[in-house]
Amino acid sequence: MANTIRLYLTCIRNTLEAAMCLQNFPCQEVERHNKPEVELNTSPGLIMNPVLICRNEAEKCLIETSINSIRISMKVKQADELENILAKKFLRFLSMRAEAFQVLRRKPVQGYDISFLITNYHCEEMHKHKLIDFIVQFMEDIDKEISELKLSVNTRGRLVATEFLKQFI
Amino acid sequence: MILLQSPSRFLLQILHDRLLSQDKGVDIDCQTVEFDDVRYHIQVSMRNPKVLVLSVALPLPPEEAASFDGLPFGAIEAIKAAYGPVVQILDPPKDGFDLTLKINLAKLPSDEEQKNAILLQIASIREVVLGAPLKILLKNLSMKTVGPEAGQPVALVHRPNESFFVVPQADKATVVYPMRFLDSIDIVLATSFLQEFVEARRTAALNNAPACMWSQSPPPELKGAPESALTANAGFVTFVVNPRHVEGKKLDRTVWNLLTFHAYVSYHVKCSEGFMHTRMRRRVDTLIQALDRAKSDAEKLKKMVTGPSFKKWFVI
Repeated sequence: MANTIRLYLTCIRNTLEAAMCLQNFPCQEVERHNKPEVELNTSPGLIMNPVLICRNEAEKCLIETSINSIRISMKVKQADELENILAKKFLRFLSMRAEAFQVLRRKPVQGYDISFLITNYHCEEMHKHKLIDFIVQFMEDIDKEISELKLSVNTRGRLVATEFLKQFI
Repeated sequence: MILLQSPSRFLLQILHDRLLSQDKGVDIDCQTVEFDDVRYHIQVSMRNPKVLVLSVALPLPPEEAASFDGLPFGAIEAIKAAYGPVVQILDPPKDGFDLTLKINLAKLPSDEEQKNAILLQIASIREVVLGAPLKILLKNLSMKTVGPEAGQPVALVHRPNESFFVVPQADKATVVYPMRFLDSIDIVLATSFLQEFVEARRTAALNNAPACMWSQSPPPELKGAPESALTANAGFVTFVVNPRHVEGKKLDRTVWNLLTFHAYVSYHVKCSEGFMHTRMRRRVDTLIQALDRAKSDAEKLKKMVTGPSFKKWFVI
């Protein structure tokens, strides 16, 4: 079970390396506008086939590419009620700070928990392989953070309960 | 501070300051609010520097918790027993409050230790007044007698418009709390905390603690209770208190702990949420640093030279 995360992340990394060939493309419909084509979804000639990578039913990753932008959407594992609210809280926290992250989308795509939007400008500013490193590390960090938050809640609960019950002895 | 303390820091501070400043000092007229809607109003005027007037407002009791003249059952006797001649109850209480006391500092015992003990007791006025009915029930338990309400759930106030239930019997007392929270995140966190209580009780070290159970639906002990009290979004917690837990010196501590159980859980749920926010902010900082590493050196150099704010970069 522990090995599948490595395979999952390697698969995502390889797909991103293949898909991230972005070039500047001015908008075809409106003069002097430059929009991320993956968000508009107007012209089929500019959009490539989306790739869906599933680790299991609960976790999956959708990668949609176009000529000047790429959109990566993730669904995070949520086993029980507590993990559900922790994930929702944490991802909303991150999405609200999308400005600071630059490549993060403010609202996740329908059906997913978090989305990235990378345009050709980002690729010009930043090294492509480092950008992919960042995305993969982000995914790993989210999983780690949620399990650590859950652990801290359980530990604190145990401590609080022990202190309370010790008062009666 | 993991456990909630019985004496109110606010009252203790004012009492000590008043004692230290003897005949000098200024008039005091302060109000404060504590958790679960308990308000204090303390007044000292320099015309009578040895006399303090303390008014206390208590949480609004729901219909099923009986109250005599706005005070819990047995509160007046408890006050007289705890403070003796130092404190006098003023009737009627001040407007907007449930209880007004006149504290005469001249009547404090001269022995330093006894004086501090009485001041500590005065600062614990909340435990004395709100805990009076619970103390009576548990005292009966320690003497292995039962009052007229044996076997029936007795409703006692611990939060505004909410009560918890005590079912007194000859050899044990069962205390049931319907746990209610307003926020949906609080409900989930509290449920996981309460389940930890049940788990923690099972460890060998806590064998002498009261037996602890949690259930989503009202437990059978609450059969006689009114309908409105039987809805709880974070389940029901049951403690079984034995005479061993309420003998002698342990009685006061047990009363305080049972009285403030809901506030204790709520306090730790909020601490937990605060801690989670701190963690998340730290994680965001780490991720942004990782993103900065992805920027090419040319970009960083451009920003360093042209940007208005100077950050220390070591460009190797």
